[in-house]
Amino acid sequence: MTKDQRPKSVAPGPIQAAKRRRQLYPFLFHMGPVALSVCSVLLIGLMALLYLSQLNQAISANNTLLALHAQESALQRQNQDLVNTIAKEQSPAYIAAQAKHMGLVPADPSTVQVVIVPHLRPIPSDDLKQRFKP
Amino acid sequence: MSQELRRARNRQMLIFLLVCFGMLILLGRLYYWQVVEAHSGHNLAQLALDEHIQNIVLNAPRGLIYDAQGRILATNVVRDDVYIEPIQFSVDHPDDYQASLAELIHSLHHVLPQVSEDRLYKDFNSGLQTMRIATRIDPTQSQQLQAMHLPDIFLVSRTWRVYPQGTLAAQLLGYVTQSDTDNQGVYGIEGQYNALLSGRPGSLTAETDLNGNPLVVGPSTEQNPVSGADLTLTINSDIQFFVEQGLAQAVKQLGAQSGTVVVLNARTGAVVAMAGYPTFDPNSYWQYANQKGCLGSEDVYFNPALYCAYEPGSTMKAVTMAAALDQQLITPETTLVDPGYITFPDAPTVYNWDDLAYGTETMTQVLEHSANVGAAYVAHNILGASRYYPYLARFGFGQPTGLHDGPEAPGYYRTPTNSPQVWTPSDLTRQAFGQSIEATPLQVALAYEAIANGGVMMRPYLLASIDNNGRDATTQPQVVRRVISARAAQLLTGMLEEAATIGLAQTAKVPGYTVAAKTGTATTQGISDSETEASVAGFIPAQNPQFVILVKIDRPQATIYGGTAAAPLWKAIAQQLMEYYQVPPDDLKR
Repeated sequence: MTKDQRPKSVAPGPIQAAKRRRQLYPFLFHMGPVALSVCSVLLIGLMALLYLSQLNQAISANNTLLALHAQESALQRQNQDLVNTIAKEQSPAYIAAQAKHMGLVPADPSTVQVVIVPHLRPIPSDDLKQRFKP
Repeated sequence: MSQELRRARNRQMLIFLLVCFGMLILLGRLYYWQVVEAHSGHNLAQLALDEHIQNIVLNAPRGLIYDAQGRILATNVVRDDVYIEPIQFSVDHPDDYQASLAELIHSLHHVLPQVSEDRLYKDFNSGLQTMRIATRIDPTQSQQLQAMHLPDIFLVSRTWRVYPQGTLAAQLLGYVTQSDTDNQGVYGIEGQYNALLSGRPGSLTAETDLNGNPLVVGPSTEQNPVSGADLTLTINSDIQFFVEQGLAQAVKQLGAQSGTVVVLNARTGAVVAMAGYPTFDPNSYWQYANQKGCLGSEDVYFNPALYCAYEPGSTMKAVTMAAALDQQLITPETTLVDPGYITFPDAPTVYNWDDLAYGTETMTQVLEHSANVGAAYVAHNILGASRYYPYLARFGFGQPTGLHDGPEAPGYYRTPTNSPQVWTPSDLTRQAFGQSIEATPLQVALAYEAIANGGVMMRPYLLASIDNNGRDATTQPQVVRRVISARAAQLLTGMLEEAATIGLAQTAKVPGYTVAAKTGTATTQGISDSETEASVAGFIPAQNPQFVILVKIDRPQATIYGGTAAAPLWKAIAQQLMEYYQVPPDDLKR
């Protein structure tokens, strides 16, 4: 039977086999269907692991951030309390109370004596520096 | 193909088609729930988002308020409120409820002794989901509760406005209401500048975890809060404290009902101190809700310097003289005969307050003696209504002073223009010596400020500067208008100096300093003449004025006159100011 006499629906066995091989071996190396399935599952699993790892890091970072925010809030709170305490202790009422507690009495401006010195002139500052030069 | 094989293939096809049909139905339902219902109908997408996406409001910190020296007058602290979950507690302890409850209450009461155990039992039996049992606990109590990890107890933080200096300048500052939802400034600076102090809250929209904590590393949108502006006032805390202490002591010693003091910078109009008694503590403002000031007419929260209009009495004589001096109708040496009374054809007779006759006296002596006869004579016989009332307006009477643009009492007096039906010349004669006219303490102080500042009235101000997140704005002294000429101001200053040296205001004289001051003892129509508003208004040093001081004591009992009731406090404040600011003495003659 010549080539032309062969029925067209029947391809030659080796060519068909080669076609089928190309369908199943898309990569440079040979890989059967089972191996391909296993590799695919492994790859998907690896990607899932990578994703979960990234997610875990993100969550861990989030927790760290939350902890830092909480720490910042606590420090701000402490700072505000300290500012309030300082303001209280700088207040005239507190100082007066502490002074009284220590036995001090308020100064009476009416007891200030005004002494009039006639013809008093200020000493020029240059003279002062000259006189008290080390 | 054999028949059996064909039948097998047909069965395969049928099963395949059935499976495809089933898949199609599932896909259709999936499409329905994921696409159609997600964004319309039940809006499932939004419901899902609402489940795990939260919008958290980020509160803006309220701006601080400082005094002129940078000391804090108002700040913020964070304190915890304590909540319990009664229902959850009963669910968590079905078998040993009583024993666990007793232990928990004992622990709670140990940390929070202010909450009684009986009250805690009652709260736990309330049947509520959550309940607040304590508010604004101390930081040490918060730490103790957090360390104890008590079940079904949680703390919620809240920001509170606090005033570290207690009652200092309370009526100037106002207070901030503390509610669960909103904090608002009320009265004073807190009320007037509430929007500026509040800032702008921010927001954080993010997915949350099981505990409600935002997952900030996920998709989120954040708008940062804008902090409130910090305000610096012109008040000096030391002087304010001295003034408040002195005023409280004077009111108590004199058996008075209330009192007010105003201290202004004579050149700029800045408020150095402003005090009222009684006052309140803004840290516990709610305890003063029933207390009154301004002789019982206003709540104690109102600043009496701005709201308590009164009849100024003889301190107004300086204004009457200013009007006549400025129009060159009199000089300090112009004389009149004072027989102790003066009659008018169209007004009732006016008598001197002490019923004394002074004979021939100069205008300067009218102020020294605080003679009503002389003042009424100048207003009625020399000035007349048409030349007197414009000066009252120029001195700011009957108008708000414009202090931080807030509400205030404008005061009132009748004129032929505003009350043509009821005004009579009697009003003119009486207004000349400070009756039939109402003015606030700040208005009277500003009138004297204009005299002290060479005839130029400055606008009073309390806010020195604003720091709005790095953007600073400083208040500049502002001239309102020229009230009288510099020459008239100088002449009047000399007259007031004499009044303080040898007149009724002698008690206000500060050794070593020239003082220009006038006393006032005002009565109110319909009330006994022994119920007075005793006041002194003036400035120091007279020759180079630095400070204007007004002291007003309401209804003193021990002594009713301005020269004896108000002048000692005026002198003490003036001395303190001279000492504090190290103003050199200028009275070298006496």
